[in-house]
Amino acid sequence: MLRYLIRKSLSWLLMIVVATNLTYFLANAFLDPRANYLQLRPPRTPEQIDRSLSQYNLSPDTPLLERWWHWLTGIALHWDWGRSPIGESVNGEIAFRIGVSAQLVLFSVILSTVIGIGLGVYTASRQYRFADRFFQGLSIASLNTPAVVAGLVAVLLAITLNQALGDTLLYVAGASSPTLTGFWPLLVDRLRHLVLPTAALTVISYAGYHMTQRSLLLDNINSDYVRMARAKGLTRQQAIRRHGLRTSLIPIATSVAFSIPALFTGAVITEMIFAWQGMGQYFIQTISKNDVHGAVGVAAFGALMTAIGAMLADVAIVALDPRVRVTNL
Amino acid sequence: MTAHLPEIRPTLDTAAPAAAEETTPGRGRRLTRRRLYLRRFLRNRSAVGGLVVLVLLALFALVGSLFTAYGYTDVDFASLTVPPSPEHWFGTNGAGNDTFAQAVHGLQRSLIIALTVSLLTTAISAVVGAAAAYFGGRAEKVILGIVHFLLVVPSFLILALVSQRAGGDWRLLIIALTAFGWMFMARVVWSMTTSLREREFVQAARFMGVRPMRIVLRHLIPNIGSLLIITFTLGVVSTVQAETALSFIGFGVQLPDVSLGTMLSDGSTTISSAPWLFYAPAALVTLLTVSMALIGDGLRDALDPTSRSGGRA
Repeated sequence: MLRYLIRKSLSWLLMIVVATNLTYFLANAFLDPRANYLQLRPPRTPEQIDRSLSQYNLSPDTPLLERWWHWLTGIALHWDWGRSPIGESVNGEIAFRIGVSAQLVLFSVILSTVIGIGLGVYTASRQYRFADRFFQGLSIASLNTPAVVAGLVAVLLAITLNQALGDTLLYVAGASSPTLTGFWPLLVDRLRHLVLPTAALTVISYAGYHMTQRSLLLDNINSDYVRMARAKGLTRQQAIRRHGLRTSLIPIATSVAFSIPALFTGAVITEMIFAWQGMGQYFIQTISKNDVHGAVGVAAFGALMTAIGAMLADVAIVALDPRVRVTNL
Repeated sequence: MTAHLPEIRPTLDTAAPAAAEETTPGRGRRLTRRRLYLRRFLRNRSAVGGLVVLVLLALFALVGSLFTAYGYTDVDFASLTVPPSPEHWFGTNGAGNDTFAQAVHGLQRSLIIALTVSLLTTAISAVVGAAAAYFGGRAEKVILGIVHFLLVVPSFLILALVSQRAGGDWRLLIIALTAFGWMFMARVVWSMTTSLREREFVQAARFMGVRPMRIVLRHLIPNIGSLLIITFTLGVVSTVQAETALSFIGFGVQLPDVSLGTMLSDGSTTISSAPWLFYAPAALVTLLTVSMALIGDGLRDALDPTSRSGGRA
């Protein structure tokens, strides 16, 4: 198992390195850091701009390969991912934003998994009855609602609610209020900021789990070992829960394992709508502000999280499914 | 999945033909394949509902501009940010543009982008995936290597990079979305086709001296035709979502051009003061994606001979 993991992680590492370097050249081709200085008043001369850019290793005057080598050695020797055109450290930005994104996405991952699996089990044991068809329709609709629409509808509902109450119960922007002190007020404040984005994210992501769980469980309900369990005298619900559900949870567990690292890459649209300073928002900011190093940092981080997710999923299969042996992988 | 395999062609079992013959006298004992698929599709109520909604949306996009005196760039200075009225059915935005005209144009734009991209990605992934499976050996390794690598590359970031530079030109957006949208499907097609390549009809064609690319195009791809049709409909859904997201962030379609995504981003800034700017594009884009998904589901059930959700035959 360990050898398999090491071999796998080495090949992932190679892919990440290649992908990151590719992104570096692409970002250099498509982003122009000089544009950030052109609108400044008083206007800077081209020499001034190049001088301030070259101290961050961004000056277009330096040959691209030389900049690339400088950037690469900086990462390899000092773990320094470079600076933005105005001098913010990419390391610092990412370290801060990972936490914000994780706060935002964590609850929605938990909620959507629990709701999705619960609904899947409930509807599978009532196949083609009214409840099944109803929730199926609901899930198709919510699965295909664009994130923008889901987020904005949540904002609209919250504004209506707040107006009806005459007070701000749920905040529609930001992660926290800056002026509060004390544990309980802070906690309540966090929750009041968290409810809306979590709801918006959960609505668009639970349905995937629901559909998968339903069809997996349906495949298992009619299998021999569930019928065997019924023959032994278990009720239908017991047989489904103890025998059918266990095997059908394996694929779900792998997809949950895959989604855990994605916690930290954040949710671009939702962070944008609710004005959270997370990774998703950083991603947009780096591109619109011509921050080459930042954009490459986001790309590398995303690739790393994908790799970790894929490996976690592999481990989950081996750990949960006795039919899978490592030699088969 | 088995369109050209006579031995698995869906036939009516002994009970059904009697009914079929009663309803369509003079026809043979078999329904043609197309009629069978049509029947199974029409039996699925939600799929038919999706189709009706989609047709209405297409009509709206095609002839909607006849119902308004304004073009999508026309500015009515007498009415800035007015709610829906007989003059402006969906209201106007802060610059005085008629939201109805914009919605018609935005839906057109989103539809064209989604249909083209989905068609292109389906075609590319079919050819690449099937060719990889048929040729095998080194070609297969190279193609799969490229596909896996492109799957690791953070495609949304690169999409954003490229489309931001495109300056809102929707044709460049189509190219970018296509370039980074075909890989996953190519892998699925590859895994479906590997089981086909050892089949007798492929062997027969090969021994008769049919050229390799011709085998791929005439014998392999038609056999996964139903998968490709479903891929196409679901590709439309994901493209609409990607286009809306990119345009909402400001990297996709950009002003003065209008798509549903730019309208949503327009509406999001005034969501409490002028919510009608949000209602129209939000309703249109959700109807579009949901109806396409319902149609895709219906097609899956209709084309899959093992599916029983459509009832008998």
